[in-house]
Amino acid sequence: MSIKSHGIGHYIIIAVLAAGSLVLVYPLYNQLVISLTGTEYISQASGTSIIPYGFTLSTYKTVLAIPKVARGVFNSILITSVGLVINIVFTSMGAYVLTKRDLVGRSFFITMIIITMIFEGGLIPDYFLMRKLHLLNSYWSVILYKAINPYYLIILMRFFDRVPASLIEAARIDGYNETKILFKIVIPVSVAGIATVSLFYGVFHWNEYFRAMIYLTNEAKYPLQVVLRELLISAEKASFIGSMNFLKVTAAAQLDIKAIKAALIIISIIPILAFYPFVLKYFVKGRLEGSVKE
Amino acid sequence: MKKNIRKRIIKDKQMYLLLFPVILFFIIWNYVPMWGARIAFQDVMYIGANKWAGLSHFKMLFSSPVFLKVFINTIIISSMKMFLIFPLPIILAFMLNEVSSHHFRKTVQSVIYLPHFLSWVVIAGLFISLLASPDGVVNQIRIFFHLEPISYMTSTRHIRWIFVFSEIWRSIGWDSILYIAAINSIAPVLYEAATIDGATPFQQALNITLPAIVPTIITVFILNLGFFMNAGFDQVFNMMNDAVINHVDIIDTYVYRVGLMQGNYSLGTAAGLFKGIIGLVLILSTDKLSRKVTGEGVW
Repeated sequence: MSIKSHGIGHYIIIAVLAAGSLVLVYPLYNQLVISLTGTEYISQASGTSIIPYGFTLSTYKTVLAIPKVARGVFNSILITSVGLVINIVFTSMGAYVLTKRDLVGRSFFITMIIITMIFEGGLIPDYFLMRKLHLLNSYWSVILYKAINPYYLIILMRFFDRVPASLIEAARIDGYNETKILFKIVIPVSVAGIATVSLFYGVFHWNEYFRAMIYLTNEAKYPLQVVLRELLISAEKASFIGSMNFLKVTAAAQLDIKAIKAALIIISIIPILAFYPFVLKYFVKGRLEGSVKE
Repeated sequence: MKKNIRKRIIKDKQMYLLLFPVILFFIIWNYVPMWGARIAFQDVMYIGANKWAGLSHFKMLFSSPVFLKVFINTIIISSMKMFLIFPLPIILAFMLNEVSSHHFRKTVQSVIYLPHFLSWVVIAGLFISLLASPDGVVNQIRIFFHLEPISYMTSTRHIRWIFVFSEIWRSIGWDSILYIAAINSIAPVLYEAATIDGATPFQQALNITLPAIVPTIITVFILNLGFFMNAGFDQVFNMMNDAVINHVDIIDTYVYRVGLMQGNYSLGTAAGLFKGIIGLVLILSTDKLSRKVTGEGVW
């Protein structure tokens, strides 16, 4: 592809892609600007603001001081980190065993897992199960719910498949048991696979709001996304009264609702933005591994 | 032979030990709810065992005008997304393939993959703000051209299009990855030979790139068809409001609202099951179709 003529078409394509990318990031950029705009200018800030007049970080300080938001951040970190460890441990256990081709019953177990990808009991049976297990209003409901994602299990199997059999054989001869082989050899040499799947699970937990909303009844346990939803979406509809009530108890009462919303959006995507550049290649790899036959 | 199998199982006992909790997870979180879905055929009793109700909930469902509306909405929203959005990532992949600067291509790619990682809560928040009247950027532009601002989120004429656009915003980049990979695996020598023969970039795209990615296109299309009944719960749930509910309520939001919130557990489960069975039939038949067309199944 080295010899490409640079005709007018080439420049049109470059222009379209550049413009498209700008349009794509603009909504996020605009929120960033609004969140950084000084209190005295905020009433003029709108969807066309591209410079934060009266630059300030005070909106962030105030927003993070709202008890609900602070708790939300804490809950989200808790759910994501504990959930991630459980996801990775059990997903790699499954992936390791099912990569062994001569395992008796292997295709039965794989079929059993694939069935869960195409058919599910549904929302209400899930809810009843949580109730029966007495997990409603417990962090565990959100952490354990569908703890092993079959798609990610299959992605990980493809990575584990590439671990040289000789390496595993050598470890066996050295007297390693299977658990030790998995955690001391297979996982360490499959860094790319583990990273990919961790990222998928991490994003899943961090972005999860719906199950948290229906399983958790105590608002103190709400993750950030549920708090965000309350303010961004429910408040938009009819009454600001609910959210205004909670704003009254803090210094946030003086802040413009626009700025609060914008700051919350940015706070909620900071972890994603922070990891994004480093993990991009893994994500792309995972997308390809997870795709149906290439 | 029997003995051989038993020997192999005993030899692999540590493997089964490792697999046991995994299978247990799937049984608890996936198979128990499947069994739990039988309440679609029962009346839920608060005291004592549930009573079998046969197909009465399904009959109620199919005679309900609300559910009919919901079913039609699901099909409309899903079709709009499926047919209008499908070609876009392909066109994007073609365009990226024409870019000669490696840096520019990488930058565009990292920008356009990003929205895929944002939650629908955030995306809905962004679009609500983007389309707000009169503050949002779209209405600011309208005002600049002396047009009346429109309250898009509450407009029944616009809301489904907002679904389409926000879906494009979120997934055009991510969905292009498969096509980009397929294009990258084309042997460069084909392009070189074509260039020597005097083929224009457009002719090359049409005669080399396109035929090479047709199998990917077919596979992705068939797979999408299999998941047709998923019109996008998180998107609809976060973007809907009372003004537009009749136009956007889909089966999944119906299950939540009527089933879980209003406590019609059996009716809600029946609606979910109905959707699940259609989905199952679609997936199994698209798998067959895929085997016929591409020689390989979906799984």
